[in-house]
Order: sequence, then C-alpha cells, then structure tokens
Amino acid sequence: MIPSAFDYASPVSVAQAVGLLGERSLVLSGGTWAVPEMNRGEARPTVVVDLRRAGLNRITLSGGTVRIGTTCTYADLLASDVVARHLPLLRAMAAGITGGQQILNQGTLGGSVAAARPSSDALAVMVALGGRAVVASADGERRVKARDFFRGPRRTALGDRDLLVALEFPTAAGLRSGYVKLKHGQSSWPITTAAVLLGPLDGQGQAMVVLGALAGTPVVVGGIRADSPVTEVELATRQAVDSVSDLWTDVLAPADYRAAVAPVLAVRAWRKAAVPAEGRRS
Amino acid sequence: MSHEQSQLTIRLNGCLRTAPVDCRMLLVEALRDRFGVTGPKVGCATGDCGACTVTVDGAVTKSCLELAVAAEGTSVVTLEGLADGAELTCLQRAFWDEYAFQCGFCLSGMLFAAQDLLSRTPHPTDAEVRLAISGNLCRCTGYDTIVLAVRRAAETRPHS
Amino acid sequence: MSGTFAGRRQRKHNGGEYLTGQVRYTADLALPRMAHLALVRSPHAHARIAGVDARAAEAHATVVAVMTGAQAAEVSGPIPFLLDPAGLGGVNADVRCLAVDTVVYAGQPVAAVVAETPGDAAAAASLVQVHYEPLPAVLDCEEALADDAPIVHEGWASNVMLAGSFGPDDFATVAAEAGHVLAGELRIQRSSPTPMETRAYLADWDPVRNELTWYGTSQNPHPQRYVLATALRMDEHRIRVITPPAGGAFGLKMHGHPEETLVAVLSRELGRPVKWVESRAECLLQGGREQTHQFRVAYDDDGRVRALHDKFIADHGAMAAGAGWGMAFVGANSFPSGYDIQHCRVDYTITVTNKPPSVGMKPFGKDSAVLVLERVMDLVAAATGLDPGEVRRRNWITSAQFPYTASSGLVLDSGDYHGVLDQALDLIGYSRRRAEQETQRAAGRLVGIGIGFEMLPEGADVPASFVTAYDSATVRVDPSGHVTVLTGATSPGGGNDTAFAQIAADRLGAEPDQISVIQGDTAVCPYGTGNLSSRGLVVGGGAVALAADDVAAKVRAVAAGMLQADRAQVRLADGLALVGDDASRSVPLAVVAKSAYTLGYVFAPDIEPSLESTRTYMMPNVRHLPDELGRFSTYTTFSNAVHVCVVDVDPGTGVLQVLDQAIVHDCGTQVNPLFVEGQVRGGVVMGIGAALGESISYDADGRLASDGLKQYLLQRAIDLPPLAIGHQETPSPFSSLGAKGAGESGYSAAAAALLGAVNDALRPHGASVDALPLSPPRLLAALQQAAR
Repeated sequence: MIPSAFDYASPVSVAQAVGLLGERSLVLSGGTWAVPEMNRGEARPTVVVDLRRAGLNRITLSGGTVRIGTTCTYADLLASDVVARHLPLLRAMAAGITGGQQILNQGTLGGSVAAARPSSDALAVMVALGGRAVVASADGERRVKARDFFRGPRRTALGDRDLLVALEFPTAAGLRSGYVKLKHGQSSWPITTAAVLLGPLDGQGQAMVVLGALAGTPVVVGGIRADSPVTEVELATRQAVDSVSDLWTDVLAPADYRAAVAPVLAVRAWRKAAVPAEGRRS
Repeated sequence: MSHEQSQLTIRLNGCLRTAPVDCRMLLVEALRDRFGVTGPKVGCATGDCGACTVTVDGAVTKSCLELAVAAEGTSVVTLEGLADGAELTCLQRAFWDEYAFQCGFCLSGMLFAAQDLLSRTPHPTDAEVRLAISGNLCRCTGYDTIVLAVRRAAETRPHS
Repeated sequence: MSGTFAGRRQRKHNGGEYLTGQVRYTADLALPRMAHLALVRSPHAHARIAGVDARAAEAHATVVAVMTGAQAAEVSGPIPFLLDPAGLGGVNADVRCLAVDTVVYAGQPVAAVVAETPGDAAAAASLVQVHYEPLPAVLDCEEALADDAPIVHEGWASNVMLAGSFGPDDFATVAAEAGHVLAGELRIQRSSPTPMETRAYLADWDPVRNELTWYGTSQNPHPQRYVLATALRMDEHRIRVITPPAGGAFGLKMHGHPEETLVAVLSRELGRPVKWVESRAECLLQGGREQTHQFRVAYDDDGRVRALHDKFIADHGAMAAGAGWGMAFVGANSFPSGYDIQHCRVDYTITVTNKPPSVGMKPFGKDSAVLVLERVMDLVAAATGLDPGEVRRRNWITSAQFPYTASSGLVLDSGDYHGVLDQALDLIGYSRRRAEQETQRAAGRLVGIGIGFEMLPEGADVPASFVTAYDSATVRVDPSGHVTVLTGATSPGGGNDTAFAQIAADRLGAEPDQISVIQGDTAVCPYGTGNLSSRGLVVGGGAVALAADDVAAKVRAVAAGMLQADRAQVRLADGLALVGDDASRSVPLAVVAKSAYTLGYVFAPDIEPSLESTRTYMMPNVRHLPDELGRFSTYTTFSNAVHVCVVDVDPGTGVLQVLDQAIVHDCGTQVNPLFVEGQVRGGVVMGIGAALGESISYDADGRLASDGLKQYLLQRAIDLPPLAIGHQETPSPFSSLGAKGAGESGYSAAAAALLGAVNDALRPHGASVDALPLSPPRLLAALQQAAR
C-alpha cells in the first residue's frame, strides 16, 4: 500500500486536468513508473491526477504530422496503422518493450517520455524522429522539441503546472530506420540503445543516429549523412561518446561498458536501416 | 476523494461487487483484502514478476501497477473466475497434465498471459509462447513445461 | 521397487485446487482482529543504537504498538541456531528478533511497529527515530581478515567464524611425482534464492489458554516449533506450527529468521494475531554463495589429476541463526565431487562482514565444489590438449569403485558417471557441435561448448541438529476406507505429497487421487524435519512405505478372514482385497476397513483393530563416529548429472546467448519421473541465472543496491532455449526406495557447463574468465584485455 495520503482525481478534460496541477501533484498516465514509486515512498504527492479518462488516447495523422496522445499505450502503438506506416522506428521500439503483454497494455509512450528515465527506450527514439512534446498549461498549449525537452536524468521541460498532452512527430513514411537495444536478458532495462533514421530529413540527406541509456539524456551523433560509410558512423559515434560528460552508470553496467558498446550498436542499427538497400551504397 | 475509505464498484468475475477501499491501495491489494479473492498474488509490487496479473476490461494487466480506485466501473477477472463453472478449461487441464506448475505461485499470472495469447494467436509457435509469458517469472519449472502446456491447449481447445 | 503408481508420471496431487485458486498460501490467510507488522531496519552497516524514540510512530493512525530491541529482549531469548559453528570449534554470536545495542548490517531489524493495516504500519515505521552512532564497517571478506579490520561481532578476536580443512596435506609431495602443476582461481558472487513467494508469518496467541498457533513459510514445521519455544521461553507442546503450501523456498525458508520469533512475541504481548509479509526488497537482503577460491592441481601426462589443493574464503555477512554458514562447510566437504582424487585438500575460512547474513540456499555450497572441479578439468584439458569429456572420463570414480570413500570421508553410494556423459553427449550431438564450431569460428563467431558434471551429496544428518536422515509418517485407513497419509516431511512446492500418495496407493491398492496427504501441521503430523537437503522423498517416502505396509498387512489379515483364504494369498489392488487374481473372491477395501473396526474379533482377533501405523524411516548409511582418519560421513545419497551447453558470445558486446542445452541426470529410482524432471528443469534455469547475471550488490555504505527484480535479474522464458533431458537410474543401495534426493539437481552442472562454454568460446582469443557472474561487461573486458 502507498504509505502517504493523497487525493485521487480522474479528470475528463485537459482543462480540468491542468486545473488540478500544483507543486505536489503527480500525473498518472499508465502508472508503470509512478505507482511503484509511490508504493516505495519515493514519490509522495498530495494529489494524483489520472489522465486516462481525459481523452488523450488517440493517434491521429494530420498534414504530415502524427499526433500521439499521452495515454496511448504501447499496445495502441503496435495496433495502429498510422504508426506502422509513418513511424516504423517507433513501432520497432514498442515491439521490444519488455514486461509482457501486460506492460504493453499498461505502459504509455507519453508516460515514459514525461518520466525521462535515462534507462528508457522512448527518449532516444523520440529525438531520432524529431518529435515534439505538446504541453498544455493555464497559458495554453506550446510545443517543445525533443532535444530541448530532456534536460537531465528524470528532468524535463515540464513545470509543476504543465501537462504533457501529446507527442507529435513528422511523418517518416518511406524513410529507413533501425533500432537496436542492448540489455542483459529480458528482465533488464535498456543498457544502451541506438536509434537510426535515414533519408531526406529537411531534404539535406541527413541521418539521425541517437544513443539512449548512454548518458543522462539522449546523445545525438553529429556529422553523419545518409550516405556516410559505416566506418564514419562508427568513428563519429566514438567521438560523440568521448565528448559525453555524464555517461550513465547503474547496478547493471558501468559507464565504460556503455561507452565501449555504443559504437557497436550504432553500426548495427545503421546496418538494419540500410537493409533493404534501395539504391543506396554503404 | 480523500485517503479514507471510499466505495469501489467493479464487476468481479461476472458479479457486480462493491467494497470499501483505501485510496492508497493497489488494485491487487483491494482484490485480495477487500474483495476476498486471493488468486492474484503479490510477488514484487514493481510490475516485474507478473503474479498479480488479472484482466481489466479484457486486457491483461499487472494489478500491482494499478491504483484500486482507478478500476472503478471496470470488469475484472481473477483466477477464481477463469474456470468454466465447475469445469476446468482446456488450458487449465493442459497445465495440470504437462506439469506446468509446481509451487503454483506464478500459476494465476501464467494462465492469464497464456489465455491472452491464445485469444489473439490461436496456434502460437514456441517462440510466441515464450514471448507471451516473458512478463511472468517462474522459479520452479524452468518454463519449458509451461510452453508445452500452452501448445497443447492450443491444439486441443475447441474452435470458437 | 515397482508398483502400479510408483514410477509413473503422476500428475500433481490436488492440482485442481491450485488451478481454481482454492489454495491458501500464508499471505492469503486472515484472522479476526489481525494486526500487521512493519519493521524498522538499520540504514547503517555497523552502528551502536544509542536510543529509540517511538513517540511519533505511536501517534500515527491505527498504530497498536511499537517494540524496541530492548523491550523484546525482556520477553524473549536468543534464537537457537539451526547449525551452530561453535559445535565445530568456531565462534558464534547471539541473534535476537530485534537488535538490542548494536546493528551489524544494513537492513537488520531494529524496531517493530504493529498497526491495523500494513500501510499504516509501514508509514509509522518511517516515523520511528533511532539514534545511531555509526561504527567502522567492513564489507569485503579479504579486508575483514586484515589485522586492522574492524571487528564485526563484539568479543570476537577476529572476523573468522570458523576455519577448517578436509583431506590430507600432501600436495607438494604428490605434485613432485606427477610432473605438471597448474593454478587457478574462481570467484563466485553473492546471489539470492528469490522464490516467487516471499516469507510471511502469522502468529496467533491465545491469551486464555496461553497457547500459540503459528502459521508461516517455514521449511521445517517441527524444528520451527522448537525454535519458537526456546526463543519465547515457553513449552514446546503449547505451540502449534502450521506451514501452508509454499510458493517455493530454495533454502530461504529454513528456520532462524528474526521475524519468525518477532511475530510470536508481538502476538503474545498484544493478545491478538500479528501478520508480517516480506517485501521483495527485504527478500533480496537474504543471499549467499559468495566465495573466492584459489586452487592448484597436480596432474600427469595422461591428464590424470593426482592432487588438488583448494583454499577458499566464504563471505558470510553477519552472524545469523540460520543455516547459511553451513554452505561453506558442505562445499568444502563435497570436494573433489565425483572424481577419484584421494589427495584432495580443502582449506576453508568463513568470515563475517557487515553485510546481511547468508541464508542457506540450494544447492547449499555443493555448487562451489562442482564449479572448481569442472574448471580444473577444463584447465587440464586445455593444458594437455585432451577433449574435456575425455579428461573427465579418466578422472571419474568408476562404477566398480562404489561404495567409494572420498578424501573428505564421505562414502559415495553408487553411480555410473561415464554412462551419464555418454548419454548427454549423444543428446546434444557433441561431435556434430564440435564440427560446427570449427566452421563458426572460421566465420568469426565465438561459439563455445561446455560440459558440467555435478555429484551432489544429499540427505544429510548433522549431529546435535534437526537436520536428519530420517522422517516419519502415519498412514491411516478410516472405517469408510478412505486413506490418509500424514508426514513429518513437507514440500516447498516441488510436491512430494504426490509421490507419497503414489507409494501408499501401491501398497493399499487405492487410487492416489483419492488419498489425502497432510503435511505441515505439528498438531497432527508425526515428528519430522520438513524439507531440506533433498531428503523429503527419500526418507519421507521411506516412512510412508513402512507405515503403509503395516496397514496393508492388517487389511490383508482381515480380508483373509472375510474371504476364508490364506493371508499370504491376499492382494490389494484397484480398491479391492482379492485372493490371487480371482476377482470372484474379492471384497472392496471400504468393506474390509469397516469390518476391521467392527468385526475385528471375528475375522482377525490377533490383529490390533486400528488401521493406522506411524513409522520412522532411517537411512542406514550415516557415520557420526570418526573413522581411522578422523572423518565423518553425514550424507546418505549421492545423485549426479551432466549438463552440456552451447553458447555464442557477441565479440562486440560480450552478450551471451545459450544456443542449446541438454542434461542427463541420475537420482536413482524415480518414484515420479515427472516431478524429478521438474526439479532438474528448475534447477538448471536457476543455475544458469546465477552464473549469468543474478548478482546481489551493495553500495559503498553496505546498503542493498539490487533491491528489486529490475536490478536482480532472473531468467525469463524467452532467454533460454528448451532443455533436452535424459535420465539414468543407478539406484541407491541404501535407501529402501532406491531413490536419491533430486531437489538440488541441475543447478551446479548447468552453472559449471556455462562457465566452461564461455571459456571455450573465448579461448581462441587468448581470453578467459574465472569469476561469476558471466555478465556482458565482464566478458567484454576479458576480450579487450586479451586483445591488448
């Protein structure tokens, strides 16, 4: 049982939800992070705002932007034709979420993003896809780019009275992608991940290689183009790793291990994205 | 709603039930302590072991990750509600015949995970079964006989 | 021994009750007026307790009472040891249900809070103010042995609980003749039993009758009663211990935990039931198996090991009243496994540190002997160029040598290790695998094949303890013909009740499904030890057989009178008593039973008219008196197995994948092969898990860091390939059933095979690993180091 006392609210609209937020409120999306934390006494909110009846569980496509409501579960993502067609990288990540069908039913993308745990699948993928957080507050709605959203381990751009209502992604239909996750067996959270998106982002032949669980926030590997040879990808990743100041360490793996495997994973994710090669040389 | 008792109404194993619950309770605790069903177990309270697995509105759910009050108005099925009245289901019989449980603590969760798989994939491969039960821990069987039981149930259950 | 039911793959007794949620585990129990216990635990690894301020906690909603260690010590005594190291010349320290003036590990219970709900108890526990004066702590066993190390237990001269040795001290002499010497080491990490059901206890004190009913997850109901009586300073016969069906134990639930006594103390003080359910984090405080070995081996040109000398240090953590320290002793006693090495010397040192105490865990230290010996064989194979299987063949005890007295003094009963290996290699397709390995290696893959052989002494009888190689059973047929079996042996979940039903069914001509088996209630079950040391089936089953035979003889006598036949001609089968095979001269068992009670004077006046017998079965091959070399033989059955695995190590990440695995085991006669296989399967996955990634870790202050199942990683269904199983039956010449204990089988062989496979995979790169767990960081570091 949760040791501290709190009021539980289940608002039916965003406006109602925002009105409940304050310094000691906690937002429940799926609850897979928040509920155990409350149970262990690590989080002691006075108000719990359960978003699941607030109408934030839809996936829509509009003008080249996919909008995923905060309380969409990983199961929703896997069942969505829109996600399959427009965000295959996201789908690949969702398919590897551990914890069984139960966690696919209960865990939400929005909740994972708001929790911003370094050892999470969602953060690096959001950055790689150029996602934006849609944040509602008493002042209205604003959008925050993924790279600006993640400020540090478990720290985001969300203030006490801000509510993450959706994630928006530009369509990546037709773009190639690859996702690789290293973990110590199925019980383990991610140790290091690599998310790759290839193709004409901004029409410049850019490529996104983003490393997750390596540092406090996702690490973007710079200086890579969609036609870069693999050796360059590996080198650029090593350089990116070397310049990271907050390499992540936890009981499962030390920082130097993550640093050693990150380039290997980046290359593997790159190769996944490159297959099938549609007129692209490696 | 304060942290004192409030009334929680759910449809439990087919029957509409109301019981007082402490707002701070997890769903698994409310089911066990207030609704009197001990089928779902507490093995970790962190959503890892799966012993607390039930269905909520038909979706397999780790009930230690749900607040009891959040389940208001839902339909919950626990181990006590899995059998066909007095008759064991095909899946339950297969678990018995293949020795897919020893101490039985993970049994409830495994049955729900297996049943959920079979409802979506009537003829799963070994790999699909293993993935489907990978959210549930067992410390006794080594999993192989559970996989056998699910495969056997898939072969012998009547087509619906 | 054969029968209709024994030897059959009988399905689990009362399985239907499990499948429909009717089985009540301890945490499922509720009693009227039940209150809940939460513990205040020390955050310091070593500290004096200067004071406890409970006022804020006492004022918390629904709190009934707060008890400190000093208060508990006024109404209870120290907890008796399951195994006392002082009995072997070591040192002990009092262990109480709550710490009084000093804490010696982070997590040690310091105060108890009882409230109407578990939530209120836990919330109030965080309000208890304990004033600690931290003391220097030692968290590493080698540091604990340094001259200037902080002393963990007051009054001890050092941090050595017990040190000793087995075998002759003649390595140097033999090595000189042998021709070759190699040395190595092996580090084994601390791991945790982690059953799915954590511990739980519910004490119900009756203030009118001054009696205690105690429900709990204890592996040993009768000894538990003794423990409670002693700690509570009350008469044993006023305590009833009931152990409900358990959700696994693996040694965790052997008696000696402080909370067992604490719930009873509180219930007595408060006059109402008190319940405690262990959290998963608290459960992960319980661990063990941590040892560091250094060994040297003398061998000849033929790969024959002539002498072995192993020295090891075991890090026990702080003193406890349980069986944890026994693992190091038993591990040392289990050398040299099943190998014919008479010049085998083991020196062991059990140290205490300011870490949580070790708890006895399967396979109770025998894994360390297996891991070292298998490593030794692989090293000899690498040095001589012989195949690892061939080296083992040359060093094993052969069938003709049994019963075989090992250098340790243990007398091994029977076995055919060569036969088991032949089968295992066949099952995995060894030659084909080796051929494939060449191709895979040429393609740059790190594929390895490992062979792990385990020889497990089981069925221990330890003098002056409740660890016994005997157990008792009552078999009773009531006037309706219903058969009830009551035993002193219990099961942690593996289900020896099914086997007991099979054994009784054979002798009484009844159906196993119709037989009631009652275990785990000291009020009605005959005295026994419960379950440990894999002896439940062997001696529990032996007792059931004796008692059932007694009752069967009476039934046949009465039936003979009814059928007017010779007693020797009467058989019991299919619910009938019949003369030979003549179904026309038969009478149903139920009718015979009723007649025994109501017409006994008519049909069998020489027989006591009570269809009941209580018998005790003792293994005959225990030797507590020292032999001419001063050695003892406390183990009574010796099972064995060979596990072979094929692994692939990712050179870029060190991630390991088990590609294929097979095991062949031999636990003698199998009463229920389905259940034996179940034990082996579970043991294999647990052993692989422990070797691969289960690791208990602490922070720099000695607090548990791996306090959940996301940090302490268990194997899941998708992590491993299916296990092929074969078996061989080399019966025990000593046990009445011919059976040997199988409760710990699989773990050691699988862990050793995995270590061997990893080293086989890494060898072409000049890398090796001699520490567990075989985590990806460790494997990658080994490869990187070899590349430099």
